[in-house]
Amino acid sequence: MARPVHPQAMTPSRAGRTRTAAPQAASGWYTQPRMLKYLLFDATGIVYLLVGFIALRVVWALGSGPEAWQELMRQLANPLYVAFHAVALVSVVFVAVRFFSLFPKAQPAHIGPVKPPPAPLIMAGLYAAWLGVTAVVTLILAGGLF
Amino acid sequence: MSEQKKTFVITRFDPDRDPAPRQQSYEVPVQPDWKVLDALNYIKDEIDPSLSHRWSCRMAVCGSCGMMVNGKPSLTCKDAVSDYGNRIEVAPLSNFPIVRDLIVELESFMEKLKSVKPWIVKAKERALEEGAHRQSPEQLEEFKQFSYCINCMLCYSACPVVANEPDFLGPAAIALGHRYNMDSRDEGQSERNEIFRGEGTVFSCSYANECSEVCPKHVDPAAAVNQAKFNAVIDWVTGFVTTRGGK
Repeated sequence: MARPVHPQAMTPSRAGRTRTAAPQAASGWYTQPRMLKYLLFDATGIVYLLVGFIALRVVWALGSGPEAWQELMRQLANPLYVAFHAVALVSVVFVAVRFFSLFPKAQPAHIGPVKPPPAPLIMAGLYAAWLGVTAVVTLILAGGLF
Repeated sequence: MSEQKKTFVITRFDPDRDPAPRQQSYEVPVQPDWKVLDALNYIKDEIDPSLSHRWSCRMAVCGSCGMMVNGKPSLTCKDAVSDYGNRIEVAPLSNFPIVRDLIVELESFMEKLKSVKPWIVKAKERALEEGAHRQSPEQLEEFKQFSYCINCMLCYSACPVVANEPDFLGPAAIALGHRYNMDSRDEGQSERNEIFRGEGTVFSCSYANECSEVCPKHVDPAAAVNQAKFNAVIDWVTGFVTTRGGK
């Protein structure tokens, strides 16, 4: 059967003379693969929130001296943390791929006289920038740049 | 042609009798070339004349026969019965109050369409002797796609924001406003962009892209909404360096 949605969804500003039934969502709509993908996309926000907390902990430990830092590194080696970071990596890749695929058509028709490049070029640029930033960050973390 | 029996599970609602919508099943002998609308018309003509549903052109132009078929928003005159199994669920469009059976309340949709000023706004009417306002094919191309909307409201049924935010202007209305904003003959961009910067408009869109996925005319309302976001911001920024109404 159908699921309820917001009871005021698409309700006119002035009630009509006929009694209407509350708006509903057809059964099965939220289990359609496309919809599930979108819900998963939104749910990755929870992962980023947790990553944010871990990042704050990292900064805190950095300012609290070598012992605190070593202790944090020991904790982060825990398989649960490693598994969480694997989930975070998958989330980032999933969101980036979805975002990159939708980004070109969100571009305005033109900015002044300048028209945006074709969609494949925009996507290629996004992927190139992503790979470039990842390479630079990896180099920095590996001590290859500084 | 050989006919086959299929079960249609239809949402029924009589405002005078039913406390809430219910489902009713009908066995329909369908022909291979039938659309879902043909089956609904068969039910009304041959089995149960009390069934109420909207339809008109039967060629995916009028936008009247939008319904949920097996949980997906679809134009029933375009959707082939042969694409479904033996059990087909037909329900009124999601996210709309139900007036009767498969008929939904349109008033809110009409209010939202009207609110984006879907007409060409001119500071000064062009005199007849000035001739037609010419438009190049390139200028036409900038908004042509967004003018194909048939107001079938499938996008409103697909949109998760419409389901949760009653004040959201919605995909078709924003796409329509954007269509006029992109029209080289129009001078109402600032007025519409001010509307678009308000509560429950373009920035409420979470870019689920569902509106574009279900659009039967490939209008791509999600593109219009997200382009409108950009234009609304640019208009706001340029408002600081140019006088209002200055072009």
